[in-house]
Order: sequence, then C-alpha cells, then structure tokens
Amino acid sequence: MPARRQVVLTAALCLSVVAGACGAPSADRADGDRAGSDSGQVSANAPIAPADTDDFGVPLPIDARHAQRVVSLNPAATEIIFAIGADSLLVGRSRWDEFPKGVERIMPVGDGIRPSIETVLSVRPTLVILYATGDNRSAAEALTRAGVRVVALRADRIAGFYALTRRLGTALGAEARARVVVDSVRGTLERVRALTAPLTTHPTVVWPVWESPPMVIGGGSYMDELLTIAGARNVFHDDSTSSPSVSIEEIVRRAPEFIVTSADRVSVLQQAPTWRVLPAVRDGHFLRIDNVLTGRPSVMLGMAAVHLARLMHPSLADSLTDSLR
Amino acid sequence: MTRRVWVWSAGIAALVVVMVLGVMVGAIPLSVHDVVAAIQGQGHPSTVAIVRDLRLPRVLLAGLVGVGLSMSGGALQGTLRNPLAEPYLLGVSGGAAVGAVLAMAMGISAPLLVTASAFAGAALATVLVAALARIVGGSGDTRLLLMSGVVVGAFANAAILVALAGAPPERLRGALWWMMGSAADASWGAVGRSAVAIGALGAVLLWRARELDVLALGTEPAAALGVDVDRAARRTFLVASWLAAATVAAAGLIGFIGLVVPNLARALGARQHRPMLLLSALYGAVLLIGADIAARTLRAPVELPLGALTALIGVPFFLLRLRKVVT
Repeated sequence: MPARRQVVLTAALCLSVVAGACGAPSADRADGDRAGSDSGQVSANAPIAPADTDDFGVPLPIDARHAQRVVSLNPAATEIIFAIGADSLLVGRSRWDEFPKGVERIMPVGDGIRPSIETVLSVRPTLVILYATGDNRSAAEALTRAGVRVVALRADRIAGFYALTRRLGTALGAEARARVVVDSVRGTLERVRALTAPLTTHPTVVWPVWESPPMVIGGGSYMDELLTIAGARNVFHDDSTSSPSVSIEEIVRRAPEFIVTSADRVSVLQQAPTWRVLPAVRDGHFLRIDNVLTGRPSVMLGMAAVHLARLMHPSLADSLTDSLR
Repeated sequence: MTRRVWVWSAGIAALVVVMVLGVMVGAIPLSVHDVVAAIQGQGHPSTVAIVRDLRLPRVLLAGLVGVGLSMSGGALQGTLRNPLAEPYLLGVSGGAAVGAVLAMAMGISAPLLVTASAFAGAALATVLVAALARIVGGSGDTRLLLMSGVVVGAFANAAILVALAGAPPERLRGALWWMMGSAADASWGAVGRSAVAIGALGAVLLWRARELDVLALGTEPAAALGVDVDRAARRTFLVASWLAAATVAAAGLIGFIGLVVPNLARALGARQHRPMLLLSALYGAVLLIGADIAARTLRAPVELPLGALTALIGVPFFLLRLRKVVT
C-alpha cells in the first residue's frame, strides 16, 4: 500500500477510533482516550442520543430544507451519505475522506477536527455535518453563528452506526434509503453471527491500534463487537473504553493467541523489542486484516464481519460466501 | 567520615531495593524467587520474557537516565555557580527534544540517528542560550543564563508543536508520549547505547571535576589559579548538555531530577564536585527508578508519564530552593 494512502487510512482510522490526535496537538490528546465522553470516549453502555437530536444534543432538522448544500467533515458520515444516495447534495468533505470511490470529486475543505471555519464557509454550505467530539464544539458554535445548520454525529459502536444512518436520512430527506442500508448491514451481521455462534473454538485475540504507547481495541469499540460477531474473543473485551492504553505486561498476562493487525504493521510489531515479548508476535501468529473494511464504523461493517470471520475460522469460508448471496 | 559511609551505604541499599522492586512490580506481580529463577531462564516462558526483556531493561534504563540527568544538573550548577540550574530549565533538554522530534517527524526511526539529532539539538540550544545571555548582558550573569534557558525552552516547545502540526497522526501520538518522558520503551539496545553515552560523558565530567571546584571560587580567583575560565566553563557546559541529550534520546523529556538530586547530594555533605557528582549519580538512579515504579503502579493498568511525575516533585522543590536563594 503506498505510503500516502497508508497515512490517510490511519487518519481515517484515528478519526473513527481514537478521538482527537488528527488536529493540532493538545494536552488532552495524550490521555483523552481514557477521559470522559467529551474528549472522545463513549463507554459501551452509554445511551445513544435519541433520534431527534444530534450527539451535541441539538435538535435535528426534521425536513430536508437545509440540505441543499452539505459539507460533511465526518468520514463515516460521508460514506453513509453516498450509500443513502444523497451525495448529490455534497459540496465539501474533509481532506481525510477516502470512501467510497467517487468521493474524490467532492471538494476537500480541510480537517475534520477543529476545521478551518473560513474554508468551510467558502463553499457556502447550508448544512455542515461534524464529527461529534469536544474539540469540535467551538466549530459547531462558530458555524451556527454564521447561519449554517450544524449536525454533529459520531458512532463508536454498531448501534451508533444504525442511529447515525437513520439521523442522516432524516436530515437529508432520505429516510427510506437509510432504512435499507441499516437493514442490509444488520442482516449480514446476523448471518455471520449465526454461523460463528455454534463453533466450539473461539480464538483469543488482541487488536493493537498503536505500538508505543501500546493501545488496543477495548470493549467500547465497534471493532470489539465485530470480533465477537466473527467468533473471536478480544482479551480486552472487559475494558469499557474503545482504545485503552495498556502495558505490554498486561497483554502478556492475558495471553492472546493471535494479533489482529493490518499487513503493513506486522513488521513494525515484530521489530519492536517490547512487543516481541508476546509469544504470538514471536511465533508470527498474525491475522492480517484489511483496514479498508474494518477501519471505520460505516456501511462496510457487514463486509468487515465476513472478512474477520474468514480469518478467524477458515473452515467457514464457503458458508460465509453463501451468506452474502 | 562515618557520615559519608552512612550516606553511601544508605544510597546503595536503596538502589538495591528499588531495582529489586522494579523487577517484581507490574501487571504480573512476581516474588523474589520468581525473579531470580526468571533471570536464570527458569519458570514460565512468559514470566522469563517479562523479567528479561521488559522489566530488567526498564529498570536499568531508568537508572541510567537518573544518573545522566543528575550528573548533568550537578555539573551545570557548578559551571553557572547557581543551585537552580538544570538541563530542563536551561532549555537544553528542550533543544534535544526538538532534534529528536524533527527526526521523527521526517520519518527517521533508527535510534542512532534520532540520538544524533537530539545531540545536535542540545548543542544548538546550548549555543543559543549562551549567545542570548551574552547579547543581553554578558554570560557571566547566571540569572540571565537561566532566563535565556527558559526562553529557549519555550521556543523549543513551539518548534515541536509546529513540526508536529504537519506530521501524520500516527507519529503525533508517539512524539507526544515521548515529550512527556517514559521508560516504557526500554530495550537492551537502548540500555547499551545509553550506558555507553552516559558512561563516557559522565566520566569526562568526573575527570574535569577539579576545574568545577576552581570555577566555584569565582571568576577572578579561578583565573588567578591559572584556569582558562571561559574555556573550562564552555567545555563543561557542552559535555553536561550532551549528557542531558543522551537521556532525552533514551527516555524523552524528564525535568527537575537534575535540579533536585545535586542539591540533595550537597545537603548530604558532598562539598567538592567529584564526590557530589558520584553521589548524585547514585541517588539520581534511585529516584528515577522509584519514580518509574510509581508511574507503573499509581494508576495501573494505565501508565503515567514519567516526566509529569518528576515535575510534580520538582516544581515545589524549585520554589522552596528559590526562596532560599533569594533570602
């Protein structure tokens, strides 16, 4: 994978998984992932905002009058907007948006976190969709003051993706298509779950998102849900945050059989003296995932679960292929 | 005489205790028996790996960084004849951090190159601080030197933030963590490199310790005794800066250890520079290994940044010491 693409992928991943860290550095980035929901953590059992407000608690526009010129600074939302057939409304996107194919024809207007308000306003939007993180509250206020309708959304878990899709459908006048997308993803996930549930062996895995300081996927992330659906056990499932910082020793103690990571990070992990302490790293027990599928809680969730299930349980390959028909 | 024996014995005993504790404490608590067995390669393979590849290098690296920072601080205090001097406050550590972060931002990850870059940054910061002080009113005034250090440190911080603003996010997190100081990435390679650099530069300072004693008498008496004051001060300043750079390259930015420990060594009766530097090395190792144990255990399983912990100890100490200096 070319370096540039890798950077953008990582950025998209960090937008969707690790709150913050894409904009200007700030003190709360360093440990914000363990702090309260404002700096980016929604715990596993946090209530999802009711469907009539956005994730900043602002009432959603209930008709699509505002949706003539839409800027989406939230990569997951951009992808959903294409999936629900509302992409003709888009006049701007964040520079990190990569999906789906065709997104490159939309004008990039800068960062998705702490965006440049002037650049966003220069494309004369009537509605801006932000990634709902504490770092974007001031941007939401500034845009609102400028007379632009703002919808701040985020999804950390699969249920959050459903809610996000439905709310985008409401805001952009595409409720029916939004329902179809939700039902299709949910159907695929249910079929994968039904295939893996009866299996007797569930491999134990750890899914690192950062080498130093070591950060892993915890129970608060959609990725943990994907692992469960795919018939694996995340050794950090009991941690309610989405990407806790943990010590290598703690990973050793929980003794995962496999490391879930993208192919390009394998060599990095194998060369890090601290990570080499893990038997799974030393013995090369890697499950190489495709970040394009797993990197964000969006319309690819169903495909991502199929992809992970194939890795965890190669014996299911045929039935998984059938389940997609 | 007996007091000196006491001070040294207590320091060595404390060093043994924190080193043993440092290997025992962690996500998997180990007994002394487990540790001894693991060092010999016996016991559960994962225990052996934790002891040999994680905790031992970590304890040794923290100890070496403590030695380097304390000796660097002691030498700087002697050169500037100011008990408040230390590499972090003088902007030297900040300069080293700029060098290292710039290397990281450019995608260089080879440890030797990052270290070399840190050394260059530290040397540049040293030259800058001295030049600033000279422009303002002569480098003889140590208060000006400290002020220049603070300014250069602030500039270094700003430079790092600018460098990081354009860097891809995956490097950002690592660099931020590194700026807060941590021994978590310790490996035998890092221990080896640090041992060579810190050992060699520390030895130079010990070898030149007599000059520091003479400098402490004041500029004129020292000149009268035939010491080339400017040259001696410059040389010590540079070696002490490089020593600080070696610690920054090993474990990131860790402040105030270089301030607290030499003052402690003097309070314990080490008057001349050679014994003071040696005692500082011992107590610096004890203090930093202890701080690293605290960083690992206070909020386990979350690790605290080591540099933040040392600042929590160091800032009140600095203020107390400042009051004493002023009065």
